[in-house]
Formats: sequence, C-alpha cells, structure tokens
Amino acid sequence: MSATPLLELRGIDKSFGPVQVLRDVAFSAFPGQVTALVGDNGAGKSTLVKCISGIYPTDAGEFLFNGRPVSIHNPRDAAALGIEVVYQDLALCDNLDIVQNMFLGREKRHGLVLDEPTMEQMAADTLAGLSVRTVKSLRQQVSSLSGGQRQTVAIAKAVLWNSKVVILDEPTAALGVAQTAQVLELVRRLADNGLAVVLISHNMNDVFAVSDRIAALYLGQMVAEVKTTDITHAQIVELITAGRSGALGLSSGNGSNDTGGEPAAAPGAAR
Amino acid sequence: MRAGPSQDEIRRQNLGALLRYVHMHGATSRAELTTALGLNRSTIGALTTDLAAAGLVSEGAPKETGRAGRPSLVVRPESARVHAYAYSIEVDRLRVARIGLGGGVLDRRELARPRGITAADAAPLLARAAREMQQPVSADAICVGAGVAVCGLVRRDDGLVRLGPTMGWVDEPIGAAIGAELGPDVPVVVGNVADVAAFAEHTRGAATGCDNLIYLYGDVGVGAGIITGGRRLTGHGGYGGEVGHMVVRRDGTRCECGSRGCWETEIGEHALLRAAGRSDAQGRDAVLAVFEAADRGDARAQTAVRTAGDWLGFGVANLVNIFNPELVIFGGAMRDLYLAAAAQVRSRLNASALPACVEHVRLRTPKLGDDAALIGAAELAFDRLLADPLDVS
Repeated sequence: MSATPLLELRGIDKSFGPVQVLRDVAFSAFPGQVTALVGDNGAGKSTLVKCISGIYPTDAGEFLFNGRPVSIHNPRDAAALGIEVVYQDLALCDNLDIVQNMFLGREKRHGLVLDEPTMEQMAADTLAGLSVRTVKSLRQQVSSLSGGQRQTVAIAKAVLWNSKVVILDEPTAALGVAQTAQVLELVRRLADNGLAVVLISHNMNDVFAVSDRIAALYLGQMVAEVKTTDITHAQIVELITAGRSGALGLSSGNGSNDTGGEPAAAPGAAR
Repeated sequence: MRAGPSQDEIRRQNLGALLRYVHMHGATSRAELTTALGLNRSTIGALTTDLAAAGLVSEGAPKETGRAGRPSLVVRPESARVHAYAYSIEVDRLRVARIGLGGGVLDRRELARPRGITAADAAPLLARAAREMQQPVSADAICVGAGVAVCGLVRRDDGLVRLGPTMGWVDEPIGAAIGAELGPDVPVVVGNVADVAAFAEHTRGAATGCDNLIYLYGDVGVGAGIITGGRRLTGHGGYGGEVGHMVVRRDGTRCECGSRGCWETEIGEHALLRAAGRSDAQGRDAVLAVFEAADRGDARAQTAVRTAGDWLGFGVANLVNIFNPELVIFGGAMRDLYLAAAAQVRSRLNASALPACVEHVRLRTPKLGDDAALIGAAELAFDRLLADPLDVS
C-alpha cells in the first residue's frame, strides 16, 4: 500500500458542446491496488477513462504520473506511460491466434521476418505470470475461445507491454458465473503483481470482491473515494443514485445541481 | 544449563535450511543461497555436496546469464526422483498425487468417492490408484512418505479421524489403514483439509510471506486452517479450527455434528440449496446452478445467495476480531460463495468487525485452487525430510 498514487488526476473538466460531462474530477490509482470506478449510466465513467487514455482532450485539469506532471494528448502518450485499457468489446481479431492478437500492430521482428519464437515465449510467460491455466494452446484461433478466455487474452495483452496502469471496462459484463469468477481472480492477481488496476463495473459484487478502493461518480462529479474496508453495499448504492450517503458525498448545500428530478432509487444500479 | 548446539546439530540445521530453500524457491544459484541463508561460500559448497551425495539435489551450470564473470553453479531439487504421495479424501471424490521435491505435481489420479465408504474400504482404493502411478518411477526414486488431507477432526498423534460429520465417519483409522497398504517404511501423516490447504497457500500460494492468515475451506461443511505468527494453530489434540461449528444461532437448524445453529448450517451446501428451494439436489454442481440462477435473476436464488453471503460475512467478522489476520482465503465451496456474494460478505464484515481489526484484512481466493489440499498433504510428508535431510533419505 504505497502512499503516492501512480496515476493522479486533479480538477478535470470536460464538456461536449453545452453539456458538461466531468466537473472538477479528482481521481487516483495506486500500485498494487484495485480501484473500482462506479456510477450510474451517464455519470461520466467512460468519459473519464477516455480522458485518461488520451482519446478525449480535457478542458482543464492536471495529470500526475508517479508524482510528476505529464500531458496526455493521444493514446500513444498514454501507452508510452504504461497505461493500457481493456474495452468492453475487447477488440480481438477472431481470425488470428492468441499470440498474433497479443502482438497485433506491435510485432517483434528479427531482421525482416517476424520473430515468432520470442513472441510465443513472451505470450506464454505473460499468461504463466498471471497463473492462467484455462488456455490450452497459444496457437488457437480466438474464435474458438469462450467469453472468459477472450477476456483473459485481452487482459494478458494489456499486461504484456510492461504496463503500469490497467483499466478494465466492465470485464465481466457478458460472462457466466464460473467465468466471472476466473476473471475476477485474474483482476485481483494483476494488482497483487504490483500493477495499478482500475475496474469499471456496475456489478457491486464484482466491486466488493476485488477492489481496495471505490471511487463513485455522480452526474460528472466525484462524490467519494473510499477504502472498501470502510463502506457497505447500501452506502455505495446511495452514492451512485443520490450522490450522498450520510457524511459521504455531496454536501447538502451543494444540492442545487440535481434539479433533474428524484434522486431516489435507480433500480438497475442496485445489483 | 544447556550447552550450545553441537557441530552435528548445526550441520543438520543448515542442511535442512538449504534443502527447504530450494524446495520452496526452485533452482537457486550458490551465490544466491549464500546471501539468502547467511552462510559462507565454502559451507554452502559442502552442504550441497552432502545433499547431492544423498540424491536430494543436483548441481549444474546455469543458463546464459549474459553477465560477466564465472557463473555460479545452480542447485536444483531432484524433483523427479524425490517424491511424496498425497491423498485427499473429500465428500464426493478421492484424489491421489505423486508430488516431487519442489512442490510440482508429477502424476495424479482421481476417483469418485461412494458416499458412506469407510476408511478400511477407502484405503485399498487409494492404494490401488497410487500403485497405478508408481509403475513408471525409476529404481533409484526416493519416497519420503505420504500425506493425507481429510475433511474431519484428525487426532494428530496417530491420524485417527475422530469425526467426519459430512462423510459419516466416526473414529476411522485412516492413517493406519493407508500405512498398512503402503508398507512399514513409508511414514504417513494425516491432517485436516483446511489446515493442510492453509499450509500449502502459506508455503507456495496466495499467502507466501504472510504470517497471519485464515483459510476457510467449505464443501458440505466448513473448516478453517489458521496460521498465526507463522505457526499453524492446531490446538491441543489437533482439532482446532472447526469454525463451521461456531454456534451462531441458539435455535438454529440441527447440524450433522449433533448441535444446533452451527455456522455451517447457515453457509454450507445444505443451507444454500434449502433456501433456494432445491433440497433434493446435492454436490458442487447443484450449488453452482443456484449461483447461475441468481445471476440470471431468479429472485429466490438471489435471496438464498445474499443471505448465505451475509452469514459468511458475519462469521468472518467474528474470526477477524479474534485472530486479526492480514489475509482471509476462501477455498472450496467458499470461493464460489464469496465471489457470488462479495457485496454482502464485505458489507457485513465492515459493519460488524472492529475497525482496527478489519482495516488491513485482505480477502482473497486460493492461488493453488483445488490442488492446495494435495500440495499441502505432500508438504506434511516433506516436513520430516526437511527437518533432517540425511537421516530420512
């Protein structure tokens, strides 16, 4: 549990035309920890991730990486810092095998030809380092893999490049119970191996199963960043749906923003 | 007044330390051993020669290091030759494995366990499976002993299973029965499955470097392997850690142990299946089917899973208050329940346990998976070798 965050964002603002999506957002991710990013639909989770990964430019705010200010203008800047994102749709090519997918666009060369043995070895080492035992052959086409195995390959691909921060967008969304369990264990292992992991999820179970800290977004504002040992399921659901829970979250004087109707129950978020 | 340790004792101690190091860390160069054990180079050389002469380790040139200078010789455990047998007796299956020095599984067999079978009947089945594996073993192989993991209360002195409620065992001499099959020159050690799994995870799994941990193992019943201050907590007779029989409800359901309201009557397989309205089903697949149903939105299954998760958090909160562990590992059926109901487990734990006890506790699933029982059983057998390498081999 190190004291300085590996990735720290301060005062991030982002608007799309007249719509302000992120409002003075602060967020940090620590090495060796899983930070869960939660919030209702439209709270700004995906936008925040796209700002971190350099897809969207921010309007205001600063990025600190390992305590040093950095600027991220495009995805290549983010990758150079060691920030990798695994998106919900995985972006794997069905007609290529596991090794080809993991090195797609960043193939190792040996003179003019591809260095297949090295790539295969690196892929094998990465999967072994994550204690992945479910994949039989590295030369298997991705189309033959199950949903959980695909997710595993996508995560391994993100880890391969000596990455330091791995952001996972809903990694268990389309999976059955057994595969969800495997992916959750993998997410936990990434952090236990020393990476800073950011987990975006709607499923409170997944969040509580693996996270060390929980960051809750509510209508574009970061309403709480708390340790998982200090909070209950009911409090998180309140933060997500109403922006406050007891002493946590928005102070009641700040309630002028949420004129948009009932902040009571949002049924989907409670799962 | 006691005199200092003799030369012989020191040497035996050092041999054990060196062998234990390569057993736990795999192939290690002499230079690394010198640093890790704090012995000088010539001592390491002499110890290695002795162990190699006994056939426990081998020495060889390392792979290319790419560094300047003469490379240090690498000491490897003789994994293929020095081995132990590991048995795991579970509610639904019997497993046997041959495990090499260094902790690798060399070979394994698995058979279904007919429910209601006694120790006297189980031992020949296990022995036959072990003999099937024995064939390819080379003539100079060294078998250091056998370890048995069993779901039940095990008397430490002789491996008698005093009570295995989930298997219907009372006073079953499994240690003696397996010993009779293996012959007099193979020592047999018996341990509770949760204890040996905790031992395995502590030695080479999710809990390496962590000296205060609780491993919760569940199938039909629930037990815990507890390690505090780096030592296994077994109690006076070896029966410690039966957390599944903590009474959590004065007027609760009757438990197979004869009491009422035990913790396992709220979180065990029967409780979950009953609450989900599937009392006629049994086994791990039936439990997983409840989780699947809950995931798809079956309200009754969801309630069953959440209630069981809440009870799991309740008991863990008590354990965390008493033992203040840094790590709680959920193994066997408890892994599935934890991952399916983590929100309830965590919430109840955070709400009930003392903040000082809970603030640094990590909740994890096993790294070794279901193999922990086998690997831990083998570790029991290796323990004797590591204490005095040259005497045993």
